[in-house]
Formats: sequence, C-alpha cells, structure tokens
Amino acid sequence: MEQLFDLALLNTAIRVLTPILLAALGGALCARVGLFNVGLEGFMLLGAFAAVVGNHFLQNVFLAVVFAIVVCMLFSLLFAYVSINLRANVIIVGIAMNALAAGVTTFSLRAIFDVKGAFYDSKMVGLPKWNIPIIQDIPVIGQIFSGHSPLVYLAFFCVALIWFYFYRTVSGFRFLASGENPLAASSVGLPVRRYQYGAILVSGALCALAGAQLSLGQVTMFTENMTAGRGFIALVATMLGQSGPLGVMGASFLFGFMDALSIRFQGLALPTQFTDMLPYVVTILAMFFFKDKSFMQEAQKQGTSSR
Amino acid sequence: MNRFNKILSPLLQPLAAILVGLIAGAIAIAIAGGNIVETYSEMWKGAFGGFYFLTNTLARATPIMLIALGVALAFRSGFFNLGSEGQMVIGAITAAVIGLYMPGPGWLVSTAAIIAGAVAGGLWSAMAGFFDYRFRVNLLISTLLLNYVVVLFARYLVSYPLKDRTGSAGLNQTPMLDASVWLPKLFKGMPLHLGFIFAVIAAVLLYILLKRTVMGYEMRMIGGNPLFAVYGGVRRGSMMMTAMLFSGAFAGLAGAAEVLGTQYRYLDGALSSAGYAWTGIMAALLANSHPIGTAVAAIFLAALETGAMGVERNTEVPLEVGDIIQSVLILFISARLTYSFIKRRKGQNTDGTAV
Repeated sequence: MEQLFDLALLNTAIRVLTPILLAALGGALCARVGLFNVGLEGFMLLGAFAAVVGNHFLQNVFLAVVFAIVVCMLFSLLFAYVSINLRANVIIVGIAMNALAAGVTTFSLRAIFDVKGAFYDSKMVGLPKWNIPIIQDIPVIGQIFSGHSPLVYLAFFCVALIWFYFYRTVSGFRFLASGENPLAASSVGLPVRRYQYGAILVSGALCALAGAQLSLGQVTMFTENMTAGRGFIALVATMLGQSGPLGVMGASFLFGFMDALSIRFQGLALPTQFTDMLPYVVTILAMFFFKDKSFMQEAQKQGTSSR
Repeated sequence: MNRFNKILSPLLQPLAAILVGLIAGAIAIAIAGGNIVETYSEMWKGAFGGFYFLTNTLARATPIMLIALGVALAFRSGFFNLGSEGQMVIGAITAAVIGLYMPGPGWLVSTAAIIAGAVAGGLWSAMAGFFDYRFRVNLLISTLLLNYVVVLFARYLVSYPLKDRTGSAGLNQTPMLDASVWLPKLFKGMPLHLGFIFAVIAAVLLYILLKRTVMGYEMRMIGGNPLFAVYGGVRRGSMMMTAMLFSGAFAGLAGAAEVLGTQYRYLDGALSSAGYAWTGIMAALLANSHPIGTAVAAIFLAALETGAMGVERNTEVPLEVGDIIQSVLILFISARLTYSFIKRRKGQNTDGTAV
C-alpha cells in the first residue's frame, strides 16, 4: 500500500480531475437552465483539437487556448440555435454534436496536418507549470497543489465564481429561476432564452479549457478520440453534484482520484484493461448511491415546461 | 391527395435534414480542396456503382440495420439505449467463443453462436434496464458507460486467455473460426452474407410487433406518454426491461452476425472503430424509429460510409467527410425545420399572433 498512496497520487488526481471538473461545471450550468447537455464530450474533443491547431499555427500557448475557446463557442452556438430556436430534442442534438466533433476533428486532422490517428509536433510548447510562491513551501499542501498548469487553478477559480454567481448575485438567482420553471420565469419577464444561450456558450468555453488541458497539459499532442468518455464522466459528475458547483467539485475529485489510481495501478502486474475500467465502473457504482430524479417527477416537470 | 400527403409529410423532415447534411459535406469538401460534383459522384459510385459495390454497401448495412432496429425499439418505448456498442461487442465475443469451443456439426454450432450472441447482448442490456428500474440509475448514462467496460473486458479476453497464438502478427484477436460455422455468402465472391436476411426479417418482425401486438402497443404508449401509460395500467418497470432485452438482443445479433459472417474471429477494435453502433443510433433517429424506415435509413447511412471510402480511394478528400454529413443531418433531424417554415406560412394567413 505504501507505494500506492502517496502525495504524488493526489497531485496526479488534481491534474486529471481538471478536465472533468471544467466540463462538469459547463454541464451544471446547462442543467440549471433545463438543458441536459450530452455534447460535453464533443465540445471537449473540439477544444483539445483546436488548442493543438492554435498552438501549431500561432506558436503561442495563450493564443492557442483563446483559439480553442472561440472554436468551441462557435460550435456551442450551433448547439444552442438548434436546440433552443429550432426546438430540437436536446439529447439528440448532443449525440449529434459528439458525432460531429469526432468527424470534424478526424477530417481536419487529415485535411490540415495530413496525418491519421495522432498529431505530434516537438516544436509545440505545452501549458506552463506554475509554482505558487508561498504554497509550494508548505510541506504537504505544496506537494499536492503546486506545479500544475494555470488551467488547473482556473478550474478551481471557476468553481468559486459559479458559486458566487448562483448564490450571491441577482442575475444568478434569476438564472436558476429560469431553469427551475421556465414558464413562470418568462411570465415575470425574465429572458429565459438569453440565460439558456449564455449557459451553453459558457459551457462551450469551459469544455474548450478542459480540452486544452488534455491536449496541452501533460502531453502536447492530439489523438483521435482522446477524450475517451471523459465528457460522459463529467455528465455523471454534474448529476452526482446535483448541478451545484461544490457538489460537482466533490464528484469530479472522486473520478479524478479513480483516474489517478488507475494510472498508478498500471505499474503493478494487473492487466491494463482492468485498471482502465476502474473510472467507468466507479462512475456506475456511484450512480447507485446518488439517485436520479424519479421518472414521474421528470415527466410531470416536462408537462409544465414552456420549452 | 390526402393519401399522398400522409405518405409524404413524414418524409419531408428527413429529406430537409439530408439536404442540410449534404450542404455541410459540400462545404467540407470545398475546404479540403476537392471538386464537389466530382466527389459526390465518386461517393455514389463507391456506394452503388456496380454489383460488387452494392453488395458491399448492403454488407456494411447489415450490423447497422440490426443495431438501428434495436435502438428504434428502445426509442419507441421512450428509453435512450446508447449502449449498442457494448451489447454488440458482448454478442460478438460470445458468438466467437461458442464458435471456437462448442463441439458438433457446423450448422448447429453457428445457430447456437447466433442465439447465444443475441441472448448475451439482451441480458447485458436488460441489466442496465434493471438498474434504472430498481435503483434509478440513469439509463442514458449507464448504457454509455457500460460500453467502455465491456469493450475493455473483451480486449482483455483477446489479449490473454483467448489470444490467437498461431499467427506471427501481434494483433489482439481470437483464432479463426472453422469454415463450417461461417454464415454462407448470398452471392459467390461478394461480401454480402446471410446476416442481411436476418436484418430484413428483423425489420418486418419489429414492424409487426409494434403495430399489431398488445406488447407493441404498450411499448408505444409508454414511449408516447408515460404518465398516460402508467395510468392505463402498463407496468413501466417490466416494460423497460423487456424493451431493453429485445433492444440489446438485436445489437448482440449484429455482433454475432459480424463475427460469423464477415470477420470469422473477434478482432479487438474491429467493431468499435467501424462505428456501427453510433451509425445505427443515427439511423433510428433519422427514421424517427419507424421499423421499415429505420432499415432504409441504415442502408442510406451505410452507403454514405462505403461511398466515402470510394471518395478516399479516388480523390484527395478524406473519408471522414461521410461522418460529417451523417452527424450534421442528425443534428438537424429533430430540429423543426419544416415545422417552423409551415408555421410561419400559417402565421401570415392569420392575424400574426403565432410565435
């Protein structure tokens, strides 16, 4: 056990939970305005790809991340238009967005870089590692929280920001109200659609950051389908966290820890297939304990929704 | 005229979506520097240009059709079964194991393998239904995540206990099945195999099940209006498990037929990377889960894929253009393109109060 659990494991957990946390926050925003965003996976994949493209052509990590955000927001605008204005089924649109993201990234991989499967360029610079001046000298905490990419710290900052927005601002309160009962909210003059658009766009930006952390964080490369279901795990984190920022953070930490553990197990004699299974199995098990709304509640709520 | 409208109006929506998809494809082709007309004609030739290409398209459509029918059944009952990939893989690996190790005459072994594959897929899927019914584990998410579990488990099986040690290649695969258990080809030298007949029969059976039986009526009722169905005495839990059982069985059958009819072994990643499951889900969405329409949509989507392969062979455009067309048309399939158009037209005639 000594070699299994140490501070480096927690350090890894913080790193690998970041993409899940960022995407799950995006999912929480969408869930709070009544849109179940299944497309997180696709947005994350697009973000990962766009970050690498931006890095290759702009030669600057910061601009690359900005480029990823712009690309993802454009695609989330499409998502928003189809599901809000054209009144398409949100789940179907999400599934289509995932397929579209997979298609667009592999297509562009061939069209732009003329490679199949993966793109790697040794000249690309990854995200910097920040050592926080005072914290890095504190014995235990320093080892866990220091030396991460800026996006890791940004993710935790976003948790605080969204918490503050939800529970301490008037606009946030209206945002929550328009998700709780769209009909009532629009009857008192709240711009429900504008909140929905905002939620989807911000969730696109958060997924872009999640993708950038994947493709520019630990490694500097893009491989086809590199998100590998993290978007869906983020969706579960959203559900487990009851779409509240702190709950989402807790759930993401659980999955990040499992992910880190599965990386650690690979060093042991176990077949990698079983260690790779761990995050998915734990996610399914977690759903047994945190129950979804019953279908009767769901169905009755749908009856009162204006959308 | 009325009759004409009745047939045509449900087709309007898919056709509009297909048009949008083809436009998106044209944009992608133009970006990749290809000639749009030439590329689309290559796509047509790759899918239907000649008897070989036609049977090749139908062979590719076989697993997609079976999966799509299973998904359509679940969708009709109001359940999002996104676990077709896992259900197909578990059906395929089960069929491969039976095909390899069961003694007896070839026809018996292959029949047993097909049935076992369907049962395995069905039970795996019903398990997710049971979790939802009993423990309220969200079906959409659990079916999705179970895909990863079963694909990894199958990878473990073909990497260690069942690995083919005879070949020099380092591929993770089972040994090849004996030729006596292979599903017969429908035409000599063509890729189309008996599985296609299974798929066609399945489409007709599903149509009869949904339209002509009590169970089918209950399924459609629970999908159409769950509250009304529960009020009317339909037991949602057992219906959910039945629907998921059949739905998974179709996907398991698809996997088993692929192993016995095309691959003749379970090769790791061969079923997942071809994307049969997602294409099947798209086919069901495209046809709005109508059984016969789903079968046609599956052939159409398979033609897009085989056509895209033809495009890649003969032009500079990558084959993923097919994926882009597929996903864009699904993106717009449930959008009310025609609906809003008609409504706007109506709005002009009335006093303009329509939203």
